[in-house]
Amino acid sequence: MLQPQPGAPLRVLERVFNSFTLSSRQSSRPGCWTKRILATPTSSCISPKSSSLPFLPLSLLRYASHNTQGHANAGGRDSPGKRLGAKKTGEQYVVPGNIIFRQRGTKWFPGENCGMGRDHTIFAKEAGYVKYYLDPERHPKRKYIGVCFERDGRLPTPRHLPTRRRLNMIAVPRQVENSEFLDNKSDDGTIATDSGVLDTRTLIRTNTELSLRPGYFHREANWQIGRAAEKEGIKAPKFNRQNRWLAWRKRTARADRAAQMKSLKNKKKNKGRR
Amino acid sequence: MSHCELASKPLLQCIRKTYAIGLPTLQQSTRSFRLTAGRRDEAQGQAESTKEPFYRSPDPVLVTSPKLEKRLLKSGISPIGSRRRRAALQNSQNIPFEQLPYQCFQEARKVLLADRKEKLKEIERQRERIAKLRETPAEEAGGERPKQSRLKTFENDLERLKILADVNDPLVKKRFEDGQGDMNKPIYRYLWDKKWREYRRLILVQRITQMKVLPDVLPHCDPVVDVKLYFGGKNIQPGQFVDSRVSVTPPKLTIQPFQRGEKLVTIAVIDSDVPNVDANGFDYKCHFLAINVPISPTNIRVDLSKLSDDSQVILPWLPPVSLKGSPYHRLSLFIMEQRNPQLLEFASVKENEVNRENLLLRDIKSKYNLKPIGAHLFRNKWDDGTTEIMDQIGFQGADVELRRKRVEPLPYKRRNPASFR
Repeated sequence: MLQPQPGAPLRVLERVFNSFTLSSRQSSRPGCWTKRILATPTSSCISPKSSSLPFLPLSLLRYASHNTQGHANAGGRDSPGKRLGAKKTGEQYVVPGNIIFRQRGTKWFPGENCGMGRDHTIFAKEAGYVKYYLDPERHPKRKYIGVCFERDGRLPTPRHLPTRRRLNMIAVPRQVENSEFLDNKSDDGTIATDSGVLDTRTLIRTNTELSLRPGYFHREANWQIGRAAEKEGIKAPKFNRQNRWLAWRKRTARADRAAQMKSLKNKKKNKGRR
Repeated sequence: MSHCELASKPLLQCIRKTYAIGLPTLQQSTRSFRLTAGRRDEAQGQAESTKEPFYRSPDPVLVTSPKLEKRLLKSGISPIGSRRRRAALQNSQNIPFEQLPYQCFQEARKVLLADRKEKLKEIERQRERIAKLRETPAEEAGGERPKQSRLKTFENDLERLKILADVNDPLVKKRFEDGQGDMNKPIYRYLWDKKWREYRRLILVQRITQMKVLPDVLPHCDPVVDVKLYFGGKNIQPGQFVDSRVSVTPPKLTIQPFQRGEKLVTIAVIDSDVPNVDANGFDYKCHFLAINVPISPTNIRVDLSKLSDDSQVILPWLPPVSLKGSPYHRLSLFIMEQRNPQLLEFASVKENEVNRENLLLRDIKSKYNLKPIGAHLFRNKWDDGTTEIMDQIGFQGADVELRRKRVEPLPYKRRNPASFR
């Protein structure tokens, strides 16, 4: 692509000067330059400014061969249509998740009870009737798509009125979680139930089932793995940063181990050399 | 020794040394200041030697060690300014502004003082004008209403002049920043208001509009008083989620008005998200309602648990709980000024407002002619302690949880294949 460059006119000017000096000194190229010089009456003292000006536009011209370079297949870019546009008309009934409008960019904005997807698709968030409307109080120019609960309702709803919402939920008996079982247990790890005393460990173990996890294999859930120690009744002593005696023992043990490993490594190397 | 002390000590020592040794001429000229300062220090030293040592009763202006700061905070006194400033003050000579040996500073002070004098004169003049207008009968002033409106503008001008007289005073600024401002004075009220509007009010207005409290609970509210909410001594930001075990006890409020005089206000806490499964919608519930609560610029603390039961509290505090699975509950607190008649009659209000369920704040506002002047918001959702609290308050229907209703897709409409040819 030939693009206009900011320094181009200056460079042209420079080139003109160079050629001028060259031609005046050597007069090797008998071009229009020398003709012009000869034509002017005072050939000895030509101001370079006047001579360079008429040549400026010449090099900035774009010829047809330039313009069409790389556009040989310009006609073949016509891609298939993307089936954009309204998928639901005004006052059509929609349920949550229904796509109302597909678009490139935001020709329409999501209004009440509507959402916008990552490709600016407008979809319904509530069941109701589609309304296409303007809301000058919210934005003077934007067009909105909303879902109204009643067919003959109007959008936008006035500013000062409480928002109209639906719960869209059902009440079911609450399930008691595992953690509450654990909270109720007594100190020796047993739960008092109707049938008698039950060991928590067995209870947890029987409750766990291997389920299909991500990666397509059956295993325990991560939270269950995390509680494995608890299940086995293993208790790690709590770290006490004041206990310098333990820290010293650990440190020396680690140093000894490192020294041992190092010596082993050296032995291996020596073996290899022999 | 804390970090900043360590950092600032060599610098301060250096300055003091150059001051004492390197600049003899300057020392000559400033001897009087140094002498006075020295005397003050000596006097302080004598006084302190008779008193307890510093670590026993640390001074909030000078304390720098975190341990002592913590102890001060526990006893209810907060250290003043930054720790860096306090460390610097420990070694400062406490020269008052009038005696500071900086010529440019003193010239600038002179300009400010002259301006203040001028403003005081104008205040006097304005007061005279107001007195004169008060004395003139209404017929001469062109009627009662024009007279009152003129009086109002004069008084507004007077308030503005009072603020302008003090607004450039560095000592006023210092006292305000140290939290020692007297809220009876208009300048400190003005400064607080300005600071509040710069950040905290913006946050509050954003939260109550974005979380739709404003069209849901009340149609409109322009907060003009600074409201802070404390649960168990902890400040709650507008819109914060509060654990239901924490919100069992009624909150404490500080309500800071920026206008002079005492006001009577109504305080209401409304939950606008009570799920109603049968109606497939949401209901309102009033968690607290009190009337005739006096507030003034200096009397700002209101403890909702300590309001009187037989003259103020209409509906006592009900701990907020939410069902498992339900969307979060917005509990909005509104402070509403009582306009006319100012004192609401307790008995009649108590008789009318007995039902917490579906109590609309809009209705209350219009019925008793109230004006919302302040707001706050916190949220509640299902947490570990909710069952316990539900048992405590005898919540009905605690053993259910809410699940999403399944959305049935629309029946598939078969298109006419002929049109696809």
